Amino acid sequence: DGVAILPAPQNLSVHSTNMKHLLMWSPVVVPGEIIHYFVEYQGEYESLYMSHIWIPSSWGSPTEDPECDITDDITATVPYNLRVRASLGSQTSAWSTLQHPFNRNTTILTPPVMEVTKDGFHLVIKLEDLGPQFEFLVAYWRREPGAKEHVKVVRSRGIPVHLETMEPGVPYCVRVRTLVKAIGRHSPFSQAECVKVQGETLPL
Amino acid sequence: GLRRCLISMDIHHIEETFQEIKKTIQAKDTFQNVTILSTPETLHSIKPLDVCCMTKNLLAFYVDKVFKDHQELNPQILRKISSIANSFLYMKKALQRCQEQRQCHCRDEATNATRIIHDNYDQLEVRSAAIKSLGELDVFLAWIDKNHQGPSA
Repeated sequence: DGVAILPAPQNLSVHSTNMKHLLMWSPVVVPGEIIHYFVEYQGEYESLYMSHIWIPSSWGSPTEDPECDITDDITATVPYNLRVRASLGSQTSAWSTLQHPFNRNTTILTPPVMEVTKDGFHLVIKLEDLGPQFEFLVAYWRREPGAKEHVKVVRSRGIPVHLETMEPGVPYCVRVRTLVKAIGRHSPFSQAECVKVQGETLPL
Repeated sequence: GLRRCLISMDIHHIEETFQEIKKTIQAKDTFQNVTILSTPETLHSIKPLDVCCMTKNLLAFYVDKVFKDHQELNPQILRKISSIANSFLYMKKALQRCQEQRQCHCRDEATNATRIIHDNYDQLEVRSAAIKSLGELDVFLAWIDKNHQGPSA
């Protein structure tokens, strides 16, 4: 077993946005050499019942970059321990472990990107594809005094969805947020976008 | 009942994960004519009122017993079992909280059915029992899915 003279990777952190999780660390530098990194994880189940078990990451064992996409490894809403070590030939560093276990329920949820369009008299919205765990709560209303806000939950992703048949001359506005059932959370609402038949998109 | 207690639960993702390893796991089961979960007195005799408690008991059965007794060497399989085990751990804790809030009541019917499953398990050699129980995860997941969708108590 290679003697661990390589320094262990430092400054491990997880950057998680919209249920995409990226483990990052400071690179280990040996001039003129390519360092390989090995990432392993254990969920709360392993840490409670089988603490000796660490599982090689799907995409980060090995990797040459000082980062690893752990999205496919973090598949339950429980705390996960993560560790990384460096390797150069037969030399391996000690493991560096993420200081605090990562739980996907801390992911940052951003307002989704939407495209509001008119198809004749039809109010149509197209939402970005954020993956199977996302639903969208779409709110839309006629921009006039006393107008009622309508709400529709949309599960289809990346394809146009019909919301309403519009009355000419009346602006219709739309805003949307994401819902992620797996972690029981939702994003903030997007900015509202308004359109009017025979008119251009009116920024708020 | 179950639906109220397991609000944020993605059973389909767990089913998809199991489908990826089902053939490999079931091929290792050397007692094909024996069942641990599917005897008449167990899952299929559970009434809606007992679904939540039975689910909690079986999640504990898998988390506290089956996953521990099964030793997996293949990293691909291990990754999938870990995903299921951690999802079950999350669900088990959610149902325990629900029980503390008196929304997941346990009656003798569920307790007796659970004991039969444990007895069935204990009659086999431990590794054989664990691999058989893993192979029957689709039975348990389908039962949860049916009861989580339907008008459970």
